[in-house]
Amino acid sequence: MSPHRMRPDAISHHITDATLLRYATGRLPAGPALVVSVHLEGCPACRAKVAAFEAVGGALLDEAPPELMAPDALARLLARIDGDAPAEPQPLRKRPARKRPVNKRPLPDFPGDLRVPSALRACEVGPWRWMGPGMRMSRVDIPGAPGSGAILLRIGPGRSLPEHGHGALELTQVLSGSFSDEMGRYQPGDVSETDEDVDHTPVVDGDGECICLVALEGGMLFRGLMGRLIQPFVRF
Amino acid sequence: MIRTRARRVSGSMNAAETFPLRGRPALCLVAPAGKAVTSVAPDETVPSAPALARFILVIAAQQDRQAFTWLYRHYAPRLKSFFLRSGLAPNVAEELAQETMLQVWRKAALFDPQKAGAGTWIFTIARNLRIDFLRREKIPSVPDDDLPDEPDGAPNSEAVLLTAEREARVRGALQSLSTEQAAIVHLSFFGEKPHVEIARELGIPLGTVKSRVRLALARLRALLDGEA
Repeated sequence: MSPHRMRPDAISHHITDATLLRYATGRLPAGPALVVSVHLEGCPACRAKVAAFEAVGGALLDEAPPELMAPDALARLLARIDGDAPAEPQPLRKRPARKRPVNKRPLPDFPGDLRVPSALRACEVGPWRWMGPGMRMSRVDIPGAPGSGAILLRIGPGRSLPEHGHGALELTQVLSGSFSDEMGRYQPGDVSETDEDVDHTPVVDGDGECICLVALEGGMLFRGLMGRLIQPFVRF
Repeated sequence: MIRTRARRVSGSMNAAETFPLRGRPALCLVAPAGKAVTSVAPDETVPSAPALARFILVIAAQQDRQAFTWLYRHYAPRLKSFFLRSGLAPNVAEELAQETMLQVWRKAALFDPQKAGAGTWIFTIARNLRIDFLRREKIPSVPDDDLPDEPDGAPNSEAVLLTAEREARVRGALQSLSTEQAAIVHLSFFGEKPHVEIARELGIPLGTVKSRVRLALARLRALLDGEA
């Protein structure tokens, strides 16, 4: 793989088709869906797959057997439309990062080279909390889905990512720095997707700290020593 | 009647004609003033994909209620069906179908035929509304579209055609899946807990479902990639 990490085509760890399909169908819980959104911002290949799966949804919609609507449903909707201000449909979700200052709190400090993904800007991100030597975390609250359990991890060079229980989908997107596990090296833009079938031991590479966005599906995050430290800050 | 109009449009698949610039609406798709559209039953006719896309462009260009009515007659009953099959109660399904169509009206200017066909675009609106409903807050979903694939530019008729081809290819791919693979794809869209539900509905052990889902998706992807 090319070492030019700034180029999107250099992304070497992607999200599986099964998870992208769940994302496209709207079946992924908010936390993992946020990680997928962040990954998609930098990954044209996964974006193309999601677009294809959405087209499948469009085909299924077009083929769906029509259900009878209430007799006055169209008339009621046209009346609501009449109540709308004339024309000028505002581009509701164009460039949310610039036009919607949704953060009530300032983002925690990030290294200068970290470009905060716009999906993350739409969230409320807590301050960095010290979790142990070389380890900090920050809670990410997704609008409309409080306690959905996405967190940012900031781990020092050479340290392991905190041990956690698998049992469901876990997504870890690298925002800054890099880590390695049995599957290879993960750099900014890469995502690690694991589940109960995967046993891996990610370790931050020696040349600098690593910032990741992490989300798990299911009710369990870090356990053991780290669990006692982290759980108070993550609601499940 | 709609069908003949739609055929005429798709018959002359000149992109510039089929998808004119906004502000130059395709009047051939809009009924003459005073035409009694109510005489057209919801599913007597099924507009073609380009015709449906065109309705949205006309809505965007001139807030055309006639085009909206046609679009509504096609999609509202199908949206209700879609929501019902995904497990929502009938009154909720109808309400979300209404909300989806309202968003279609309000966001018509955001519809980009270079990116998606009408059904796909409306599907994503419906999906996001369902997510919002399930989250019990009317807050926009995490941004997942409007990402620039390329620098913005003038409408690219070639891109529109490529998108139309992809949509057609998807439909073809769906039809060439095996019965079980098609069922897996359907259940992925309509089942609340895909793997568990698929296992139950297909009567296969949960343990084998994941590999079958992988296979079904691999096949679907292979079919979709056929062009590349």
